[in-house]
Amino acid sequence: METAEKTELHILSEISRISNASTDLSDKLHRIVEVVARGMGKDGASVFLIDPGGKNVTLAAAIGLNQESIGKMSFPVGMGIAGWVAEQRVPLALEDPYADPRFAYVPESGIERFKSLVAAPIMDEDRCLGVIFVLSTASWNASSADITLLTTTANQLSGVIRSAQMFRSIQDRLFELATIYEIGIALTSTLDLKELLSLIAKNSTQSLRAQGCTIRLMNLPEIVSHKTSSSFSATGDAIADLDSRIGGVVAERAAREKKPLLITNVARDPDLAEGCGALAASVISVPLIFCGNVIGVITLYNKEEVQPFTESDLQFLTTVASAAAVAVENAALYERMEDLATEARTRAQELSILNDIGTAMSTTLNLDRLLRIILTAATMGGSGLGFNRAILLLTNERTNMLQGMMGVGPTSWEEAGRAWDEVSSKHKSLMEWIQTGELFEHRDSALNTLARGIRVTLEPAEGVLALTVLHKKPYNIVDAAADPAVPRELRETLRVDSFVTVPLVAKDRVIGVILVDNMFNQRPITEGDIRFLTMFAHQAALAIENAIIHTNIETLNKDMRAMHEQLVQSEKMAALGAMIAEITHEIRNPLVSIGGFTRRLAKKLQSSEDKKYIDIILSEVTRLEGIIHDNLSYIKELAPQLAETDINTVIRDILALYEDELAQRRIRVETALSPALPRLMLDAQQIKQAVINIIKNAMEAMETGGTLIVKSYPVTDAREAGIEFGDTGPGISAKAMHNVFNPYYTTKPRGTGLGLPITNRIVTAHKGRIEMRNKESGGAVFTIKLPYPTEEKKP
Amino acid sequence: MKKILVVDDEANIRELYKEELEDMGYAVTTVENGDKALALLDTTKFDLVTLDMRMPDIDGIETLRRMKEKDSALPVVICTAYEEYKHDFGSWCSDAYVVKSADTTQLRDTVKNILG
Repeated sequence: METAEKTELHILSEISRISNASTDLSDKLHRIVEVVARGMGKDGASVFLIDPGGKNVTLAAAIGLNQESIGKMSFPVGMGIAGWVAEQRVPLALEDPYADPRFAYVPESGIERFKSLVAAPIMDEDRCLGVIFVLSTASWNASSADITLLTTTANQLSGVIRSAQMFRSIQDRLFELATIYEIGIALTSTLDLKELLSLIAKNSTQSLRAQGCTIRLMNLPEIVSHKTSSSFSATGDAIADLDSRIGGVVAERAAREKKPLLITNVARDPDLAEGCGALAASVISVPLIFCGNVIGVITLYNKEEVQPFTESDLQFLTTVASAAAVAVENAALYERMEDLATEARTRAQELSILNDIGTAMSTTLNLDRLLRIILTAATMGGSGLGFNRAILLLTNERTNMLQGMMGVGPTSWEEAGRAWDEVSSKHKSLMEWIQTGELFEHRDSALNTLARGIRVTLEPAEGVLALTVLHKKPYNIVDAAADPAVPRELRETLRVDSFVTVPLVAKDRVIGVILVDNMFNQRPITEGDIRFLTMFAHQAALAIENAIIHTNIETLNKDMRAMHEQLVQSEKMAALGAMIAEITHEIRNPLVSIGGFTRRLAKKLQSSEDKKYIDIILSEVTRLEGIIHDNLSYIKELAPQLAETDINTVIRDILALYEDELAQRRIRVETALSPALPRLMLDAQQIKQAVINIIKNAMEAMETGGTLIVKSYPVTDAREAGIEFGDTGPGISAKAMHNVFNPYYTTKPRGTGLGLPITNRIVTAHKGRIEMRNKESGGAVFTIKLPYPTEEKKP
Repeated sequence: MKKILVVDDEANIRELYKEELEDMGYAVTTVENGDKALALLDTTKFDLVTLDMRMPDIDGIETLRRMKEKDSALPVVICTAYEEYKHDFGSWCSDAYVVKSADTTQLRDTVKNILG
């Protein structure tokens, strides 16, 4: 066997032995360059490896060169001998490399000790992995056999490098998996969102040996929206500062593109160069995606002097991010559920307070007391809403105004302090205040006076109070001076920057406004406060509405009683009048006889003496007749006091008055009142009396109950109003038909018989008339016809 | 000689009217209630009736109605103490309404107007 072949065999067997040893790649390469140098009988050998990007060749192992150069001596592909060989992929033997233009001298590398060299590319199929050199201190004109030997060696070496690289990538992958597993474990260890974010940031930073990490959250349920960012920074201010300048832009880009982002140097990125300033850094940014939605972005930073991030770092971070997204979503969900639970507790507390206030409000129907309870509840701490001051205003539909009714709250700091001390020292609930009567003690505070002075027309231009009513919604005024909705006058009255108004809505109608502020403790009024206040206002509005209705009913009741009394009174008067009339009639007949016969006697008497006595009798009779005449005229002359009157209202009033009696008599009332009737010129009192007499007559006709049908309608041609009263009684007998208006005719066992004649007289006095008929179906119908007012022709 | 029927439940009034009207030259018959008056009208022809309103049994209004049924042309003068109801039913179908007075001038003028 020839020497060259022996050498080759030796070298190759050595290389395969070394490659099977379990040492790492740099150690293997170091031993291989030793074997190659010794095997070829030279003093030096080296291996350059191409970096993963394929851009540079870097010294990886050497013998005969300075060991410090390893990892540092590097050429771009195409530069220097190593670069040329890596690029051209052909062996090269140089007896005098220093004379070759391709040679690039690297000082302190130790190359200057050598005179000649041979280089060969380390090829793996058609991929160049690096370059192997054999260096000779003596001048060496390498033979083709030498070159072939080195090429063969290089081929062998490629297998070693490839398997080593493969091994390392598997190891990296394993490490990565282990790290991810650990992160996964860590992520499930907590449901506290803040802790979790910090854990993700810490793990990612450590695993990728990064210098800083920021996690931004977005699109999460609104409960956690205030925590838009959580960051963890390993190297302090510089990275934190960088993040504050470009982090948002990077995260936004990653979120928008929904894919991982690798920026090797932010200083060269057109969008970021300006923001990052002098600090050059490498960034990877990965969106946290849950169910297709970006819920956040994780961004890692490395300064330039450290190794920039690689694709595999990005891949790793992507894997972490997908696990983190699930954990973050879970934590956010948990947090939201916790918030919901807290919310539910708050609501329950609010409801309990509202319930207490509701109980308190139900203790009275007196409007003034009710308003005091409402405003005290709004200003009380503990069992109330706890605002500093509260003012209540009610709308007046008639005047279209909002009117201040009451204000509760201290007027000064001193008073505020005193009031709070008092309340807290007594620990009284609203109910206790009401029960002891303390609440209603007369306390006319300055605020109350001030509140009662507020009057606002319900026009949008009048500002926030009117708007609260018109738009039926609360207003939260934060800066009164700057808010155009707050008129200067109101601002000067209230003397606060912030206040809230809520409408009092009862049955869909705004009946007033509650205004609250925190003048003294300056506590900001939150959305939650307003929501609670709105609920409270709703309850208060219903209570106020009830109180108002109650007051109205009381007034109405009083009016009805008064009207009834009046009617009874006028009936009594009528009866009295009838009695007087009766007596005078009884007197009139004898007077006629006395006077009449005396006159006859006078004609026959001649004696003037006797005549004198006769004249006395006659003049006294005449005087008595005069007295009777005047007396009867007074009863008779019910001259109507005419005024514009809605006849339908008159009828309704009377039906309401007799509602109970009609019901007791089991008489149902049907009405058909025409709204087309004009207002008539009537004496309402007299017409009422007339109608009542007809209704009474009808009631008496229906002894066992029935139906009273009341109609009003216009008779346009005749220019008169018809008011019809139909009953279901026996109807009018033929005899009665001619007698009903006779003052002393009555079919009833008791009764004056004056009812219908009076009705007739009243209607006649109104230039109207009464018609009566029997219905074919039975029952009587009385119809009053009243003329329309005469039209005044305008000139 | 024209014949007048005076209907009144008060005997003194009947007597007074009879004398006053006879003085005027009329033949006067008197009855004290509506039933008798109506019965008499069936047998005797009168030129005028003076009729009281308030009487026992059938009153003046009913009597008036039945009289007019028998003879709508027969003039009936209502003579009553009730001056306040004059416009209520005074003009229904009576020919005149006279309020009773010690001074019979109005009654006499009314009768004279109707009978000529």
